[in-house]
Amino acid sequence: MKRHHPVVRITHWVNAIALTIMIGSGLRIFNAYPAFARKGETFCCYPFEHRSIPANLTFGGWLAGARNWHFAMMWVLVVNGLVYLGFIYLHGEWRDLVPRRGIFRDSWEMVRFYLNKRQDHPHQGKHNALQRLAYFSMPVVGIVAVVTGIAIWKPVQLATLTTLLGGYAWARYWHFLSMVALVVLTLGHIFMVFTVDPYSIPSMITGGYREDLSPEARNARPFVHLLPPNRTSP
Amino acid sequence: MKRAHPSHFAEQVGIDRRRFLEASAGAVGSLFLAACDSMGPKSAQSLLKFAEAKNETLERVLFRHTSIDAAGGKAAGGSFPSYFVSRQVPVWNEAARGAWRLEVGGLVKKPLSLSLTDLAGLPRIGYKLDHFCVEGWTAVATRTGVKVSDIAKLAGVDPAAKYVDFQSFDDEYHESWDIESAMHPQTLVVYAQDGHYLNAAWGAPARVYSPTKLGYKNTKYLTRIMFMPTRNGGYWSDQGYEWYGGV
Repeated sequence: MKRHHPVVRITHWVNAIALTIMIGSGLRIFNAYPAFARKGETFCCYPFEHRSIPANLTFGGWLAGARNWHFAMMWVLVVNGLVYLGFIYLHGEWRDLVPRRGIFRDSWEMVRFYLNKRQDHPHQGKHNALQRLAYFSMPVVGIVAVVTGIAIWKPVQLATLTTLLGGYAWARYWHFLSMVALVVLTLGHIFMVFTVDPYSIPSMITGGYREDLSPEARNARPFVHLLPPNRTSP
Repeated sequence: MKRAHPSHFAEQVGIDRRRFLEASAGAVGSLFLAACDSMGPKSAQSLLKFAEAKNETLERVLFRHTSIDAAGGKAAGGSFPSYFVSRQVPVWNEAARGAWRLEVGGLVKKPLSLSLTDLAGLPRIGYKLDHFCVEGWTAVATRTGVKVSDIAKLAGVDPAAKYVDFQSFDDEYHESWDIESAMHPQTLVVYAQDGHYLNAAWGAPARVYSPTKLGYKNTKYLTRIMFMPTRNGGYWSDQGYEWYGGV
């Protein structure tokens, strides 16, 4: 039984590439003015005003190059995201992702398990409660990133949207924060894949997944019970 | 309930997880470093150009003369940055070049040559406007001048004119625009900022300003407005910045 439909697998990797380029080029654009304050004003809520992002985290080479990448790749990101959301809606996968009643209680149990406060892995379906929260948040934050991005792309032609977000400087700030949230979610995701469930990597490439190696079956928390149980041992 | 677990392979052979993780992190990291701070593959450039053309089409569909900028916040005043491409602040040399005049030509029935006094005599309009720099900063200033659309009426622009080139005496600086943006009611030939005639840093004696275009499209040190059937690139757009540069 395949764990992930081909549409989910393809959109996952297209998204990974598009998001990486969007973030890298976005940071290069940000470095042209690494602050949020309007000229002659100060900005309350960013502690690193006028401090650049390290160049080796950026992509595009120079401002125009980064902008050209950003404004091309945004279409890949948006179209890919719509294909993914349309597919999981029509195909029913959304049921595995939309938070259900008790999600926070179940998430807390996962946190307790990961912190060694609880010995047995909470019972789960396709995803555990923390995964559900993360995989549900990802498209939500993605939509925020797209909407705030549109607001700073067209602050005059779409002035109503920009005004709703608090004006250009604030819209730019929300756009930046949505990027930070996407980075945090992505890094958390990658960390958990490698330290808890590396056996899920094939499931996102070929689709195949061995349920007997699932984190629940291995009782795996980060770095613990990472390798398959040795079945020949007593 | 506590559960007994079978002993794990790793526990038995004592595989060094840290070394394994370091190796995998190194492999993934080097992939990213290869792309860092680069302009990306050369072969992608034509795709980026294609996307820019498609974006321009969409931006021109979105464009409305009724979309108006209403700047909030306080004027940037002395904090307003000053950009030019010459080595020094460009200053019109009256002794060498005669009195400054704004030439209006190209596809027009009646080419114009306007002195600053002529400009100041045309219907005056002032707006408090945002300035959107391509770098990401904004600054607020009150811009006073004449609508480009009023100058176009005066010159009798030919309907075949689809583009407008704004040229300057700041070296070879110029930027061409689509005529729709040039005819926007907030697209002005500006001769005063925050109630004072422009100083040299702000583009004296006159400059183009429109909140519908990014800063680099708004030629300072203006000398000539040319109405044209085709576009004519621009100082920054020829170097890789989007030609449309719309806001």
